[in-house]
Amino acid sequence: MKPIKQYAYLFDTTRCIDCRACMIACTVENQVPMNDSYIWVAGKDVIGEYPNLKRATMPYHCMHCLEPSCASACIVGAWQKREDGPVVYDDTKCIGCRYCMNACPFDVPHFEWDKGIAGGALITKCQMCKQRLEVGQEPACVQTCPTGALTFGERQELIAEAHKRINTHPTRYINHVYGETENGGTSYLILSHVPFKELGLPEIAPTPVNAVSETVMSGTLPFAFTWGAVLTGVALLVRLRNRGKEIAAAEVIETEKSTEETK
Amino acid sequence: MKMYIALNPRLRLTPLVWVLLTLMSVGFVVAMIRYVNGIGAISNLTNAYSWGFWISFDLYTGVAIGSGAFIMASIVYIFDLKEFRPLLRSAVLTGFIGYIMVIIALLVDLGRPERIWHMMIYQNHTSILLEIGICVMSYTAVLAIEFAPVVFEGIKWQKFAQLIHRFIMPFVILGVVLSTLHQSSLGSLQLIQPTKLHPLWWTPLLPLMFFSSAVCIGLAMIIFESSLSSRAFGRGLETHLLEKLAKALPIALGIYLILKFGDLAFSGDFQYLFTSGTMSWLFWGEIIIGVLIPLFMFLFKRVRQSPSGLLFGAVTLLLGMILNRFNVSWFAISRSTDIVYFPSWMEVSISAAIFAAGILAFGLAARYLPLFEHEES
Repeated sequence: MKPIKQYAYLFDTTRCIDCRACMIACTVENQVPMNDSYIWVAGKDVIGEYPNLKRATMPYHCMHCLEPSCASACIVGAWQKREDGPVVYDDTKCIGCRYCMNACPFDVPHFEWDKGIAGGALITKCQMCKQRLEVGQEPACVQTCPTGALTFGERQELIAEAHKRINTHPTRYINHVYGETENGGTSYLILSHVPFKELGLPEIAPTPVNAVSETVMSGTLPFAFTWGAVLTGVALLVRLRNRGKEIAAAEVIETEKSTEETK
Repeated sequence: MKMYIALNPRLRLTPLVWVLLTLMSVGFVVAMIRYVNGIGAISNLTNAYSWGFWISFDLYTGVAIGSGAFIMASIVYIFDLKEFRPLLRSAVLTGFIGYIMVIIALLVDLGRPERIWHMMIYQNHTSILLEIGICVMSYTAVLAIEFAPVVFEGIKWQKFAQLIHRFIMPFVILGVVLSTLHQSSLGSLQLIQPTKLHPLWWTPLLPLMFFSSAVCIGLAMIIFESSLSSRAFGRGLETHLLEKLAKALPIALGIYLILKFGDLAFSGDFQYLFTSGTMSWLFWGEIIIGVLIPLFMFLFKRVRQSPSGLLFGAVTLLLGMILNRFNVSWFAISRSTDIVYFPSWMEVSISAAIFAAGILAFGLAARYLPLFEHEES
């Protein structure tokens, strides 16, 4: 059996011309208004000091983390990392708590603030055009990109390709593939000629941000039972002691009475 | 003979009641706008501030100040300190009403409130929020059971009251376990944001911080709420009992303080105490107001024995600790935008309406149910 490919994107800032066709393609493909596009492009200002000036553009969409914190946080398990790459959303489960928006270190999930009960407000984000993947097509943003700044393929192959580009042009790129290790690895890989901080990408350790909270969560039930047993034990001990005191007090009264009687 | 009495079985429409009813009506209308046109229509929440005033005030503050109920239940039932019984009923009622307020607020804040029951069938076991949801739901039921004897006494169904009373212990222990879990989990809820929550607050010990501060908040809430109801309903204050609670506060606050600074020293985040601008100020604000001032005050017997000293110390502690809850859930979280969120008046009006309903419910219960102990000669 052929192993399932794990898809990923590779974005190269040096090839991007800030045309924003990816945004348009995304809104058309996914039938969302322009201001709710799953891609938002930040055209960064001029970076550096004259004469060493640089410009960079960064199209943001879901990083499709290998260990997504949205999926870890979701109260009803509406988020799921698929084996073939995308982090997908089950809109029939979501209760709209928006904890995923807090949990995501990249601030990717967005909420439909203008929908009431009848409209059914949900979370929106890039799902790697899963409807296109099913028919063997690339995501709309990748297909539209006129300069090949956005490419799509198997994750390991893209990582190899990224390192190859860095090695071929070591002066052009920052020597790091963003997303190779960040937050436990992501399926959106980024090559840049300016520091990643300038692109607005957060500095994130290889340990996924949900590591500590999942450890705490796994200890909850054992703790609950232990704590319940401790409280029960304390309650019983206190009562035993109090009863002992009462009996002792009663005995004192008895002896006092009997001594009085003998008098 | 000691017995519990209902205060004054006559409802008068005082100006305060009118104010409360007005707040409730305004909030109700605003909530209807939210259900028709969406959360964006009434709030200043955005994708960068997906949680705002409602979560910090209604959920974080609401649950924190509801901790008086489990502290009082622990004192009276688990440690079997019967002398504290006069404080128990109103503390449990405050908790019960408080938790219902939290749930009502969540029904406004949730994007799909009609699906809140989904957490029962689609449980995701890595979600801290699931733990909080289940605990808050179950604990509200436990509080209802703990409070039921008072209602049954009120409607003269003594047999039922005695029946529940006989089997109360398992429920009390369950209630304390549930409280421990969700009080601490509100801290754990922010563990998933190590890159966003400021290092002065983010620590793997967040659950412990929240639990130890909830113990302090619970003790202060009992003092605060007894002081207020003694003033509002013109009844005597159990100063001798409150003094004992106040005596425990310097110890509880001391433990919290050691945890806080010990953790900062251990993690090497001590530097941020003075170098983080607004964040440093917010941190010192909550420590000085919520910990140092009440700790110092309650060391003195004179303060602990004076009704105004007790009230002042408790209010200071509560304000500081509420600032802590706001810091952790709002102020100290970095955002991907420079736009600063400030709640709209309509957001606040929802919380105000729920708060007003809570006060009204407490007032009604105090009038019609045997809530306070009465010394009968």
